[in-house]
Amino acid sequence: MRRLFDPIKLAALGFALLLLAAWQLLADAHLISPIFFPSPLRAFAVLQQRVADGSLWLPLAATSLRMTVGWLLASVIGIALGAAIGSSRLARNLLDPTLEFIRPLPASAVIPVAILFLGLSNKMSIAVIAFGAIWPVLLASVHGFSSVPLELTNVSQVLGFGRWDFLRKIAFPSALPDIVAGLRVSLAIALILTVVTEMQSSLPGLGWDIFSAQRFYRSADLYAGLIMLALLGFAANHLILLLEWRVLRWRDLRT
Amino acid sequence: MRRLLLGAIIPVSSLVAWETSSRTGLLTLESLSRPSDIVVAGYVALRDGSLLLATLQTCETALFGLAIATVIGIAVGTILGLVPTAERVAGPTVEALRPIPAIAFMPLALMMFGFGVGLEASVVAYACVWPILIVTIAAVRAIEGRLIEVAAVLELPLWKRMTKIVLPAAFERINIGLRVSAAISLVVAVTVEIVLNPRGLGYNLILAEQSLQIGLMWALLVWLCLLGYVLNLVLSHVGRGPTAIWRPL
Amino acid sequence: MQALRKNPVAVRPVGADRPALSISNLSVRFGARTILESINLSARKGEFVCIVGSSGSGKTTLLRVLAGLVRADEGKVLFEGTEISGPSRDRAIIFQDYSKALLPWRTVRGNVALSLEARNVPAAEQEAIIAELVARMGLSHAKDQFPNQLSGGMQQRVQIARCLAQDPKLLLMDEPFGALDAMTRQTLQDEILQLVADKHIATVFITHDLEEAIYLGDRVVVLGGSPASAVESMEIDLPRPRNQLTTREDSRFLAYRHRLFEFLVHERSPLAPQRKGQD
Repeated sequence: MRRLFDPIKLAALGFALLLLAAWQLLADAHLISPIFFPSPLRAFAVLQQRVADGSLWLPLAATSLRMTVGWLLASVIGIALGAAIGSSRLARNLLDPTLEFIRPLPASAVIPVAILFLGLSNKMSIAVIAFGAIWPVLLASVHGFSSVPLELTNVSQVLGFGRWDFLRKIAFPSALPDIVAGLRVSLAIALILTVVTEMQSSLPGLGWDIFSAQRFYRSADLYAGLIMLALLGFAANHLILLLEWRVLRWRDLRT
Repeated sequence: MRRLLLGAIIPVSSLVAWETSSRTGLLTLESLSRPSDIVVAGYVALRDGSLLLATLQTCETALFGLAIATVIGIAVGTILGLVPTAERVAGPTVEALRPIPAIAFMPLALMMFGFGVGLEASVVAYACVWPILIVTIAAVRAIEGRLIEVAAVLELPLWKRMTKIVLPAAFERINIGLRVSAAISLVVAVTVEIVLNPRGLGYNLILAEQSLQIGLMWALLVWLCLLGYVLNLVLSHVGRGPTAIWRPL
Repeated sequence: MQALRKNPVAVRPVGADRPALSISNLSVRFGARTILESINLSARKGEFVCIVGSSGSGKTTLLRVLAGLVRADEGKVLFEGTEISGPSRDRAIIFQDYSKALLPWRTVRGNVALSLEARNVPAAEQEAIIAELVARMGLSHAKDQFPNQLSGGMQQRVQIARCLAQDPKLLLMDEPFGALDAMTRQTLQDEILQLVADKHIATVFITHDLEEAIYLGDRVVVLGGSPASAVESMEIDLPRPRNQLTTREDSRFLAYRHRLFEFLVHERSPLAPQRKGQD
């Protein structure tokens, strides 16, 4: 039985509140510079005010959209490439060395290239996000598609499935646990790169909000932005966990 | 051998196509200077030392940040690993802080440290601390209970208990976290430089783009690829070295 | 039953003496290693052939050749007059490791449906066939459960149901009951005998358990030697239907067991003289 008021959970909440309270007290006592550390109450006040006047939703939506589109692009390409590399030796031999060489490149290093080709635009941002977010889902897909149990491959051969039916009915579902795990890491990276490109190229969004708050030394706004980013990351992560729970229900069932 | 040839098809053919099409005027895009120009630009940067200086700046900052993260991560991780209650109490706070992209702290770090090593290293440290922290907690918790009992029976003082029993026993697994964080440190350092910090490889890269030294930009990109590749190689081989020492224990 | 009667399998005539399966001079190599060397073997229609041999004797490779999953390097394998050149739905294979051979993301119903999808059975007709097969294998109550939720014996039943759903003419079984407990194994042995008798499906059954081979088979073939070849083929003349108690207590059963045992021990002994075939 899970109790509603688990003492440990209360203690955990208390710990977080204690930290906030200590911060608030230090700020009130002017022991730490309010320029760097505005009191948490001020940060939450800013957040509350931005919710009230509606000025929060536009940047939040812009950041979420950018992150989602880039992530989706990375997912589609990553899964497709992963399926090719994981299930065909020719594709693996062709692509592996090139990909292995590009992979260690910090994703943010392609920003200059993307700017050259696409300008300081949303397209540029999405291209960079997709480039960086592709690796976890690609590697996971390669692993998933290449570790389909031999028995299942044989079953598919005996039943006379063609390549497409094999991928659709056997290989993809079999690789799905790996793919979903990769998708989760990719989404976290997508959020990071969204913030990076927004800051680098002055694109409207939470990342840019934080950046400009610093320019004008509005540190309460900065913290409000950070809190929103944390919430966004938390929400995105839990959406994938929800997806995982839905799609991989069969994995957790036991008699 | 056949695999090597197959793997070379894509890079070689695209390089050749790139070079020939820009020489014959098929491709007039400025952004794609020729592979041969890139080699020349890279050579010049290597000769005048600017490339090595930038590399040094980036690497030293990444290492500095990694070192801070290692100390904090192992210290806090050991405590949280040894005291399960502490871990459960602090856990949710850790989980709330972890998903915030380190880069988002960059403006804050700028306000606190100004441009320079401090700004970059602090962001790197924030990004690198999580893998080390989490792996350390898991590693310390996985230590055989008997080992801890041995330490208690021997009545070792806390410090000796840490250095003689806990850390050596957990080292092998902590090492995994260190390797992950080392890779992260380079990525984050370059990112901070590209967005904000006027030093190192990332800054040189964005500067080359903004001043339309396209050949140099591509050369730096290739250099970063190489650097990352070598780092990965080193981490996956050398990183295992020290753990062998502990095995006889 | 009704649904199955429509299938051509169920009404196929029994007993023509022409061999349904014939293997002549079969050799298989993996690189420089020879796994199987000039195997000769044939099986009548509806015959239940058991193949025994110590582990590593090439039993599984032989079965995979019959399934069309491994190519013969030399020799010919004919099934119902046509040469086996690749996998086919006519030849169903049941793997020992049921946990890997089932689709864990599909329910029992979905796993059986896989074979029907491969046969392009219209969706409207699938449900009736599934219900029939699932009932036959005693899985009706577990129809909507995932393989993970079932015991080993139940999972192996699902695999058998899926193989039956592909409407095979030959059933290939690779130590299917090897990982099950003794009680479950006996129950499944009797069920599989009943099944192949009802449907007149020729069966090649691999096992390392001599008693199982004698109990099930019309004929027991011993694979031995290195590389392996069929070194002994023994007709099992025991009345059917077989019975776990009386058949196993039959003096002929014990005599067969004695002979096979002697043979395998002899085969494994390092002091055993070289077989004629290898000189």
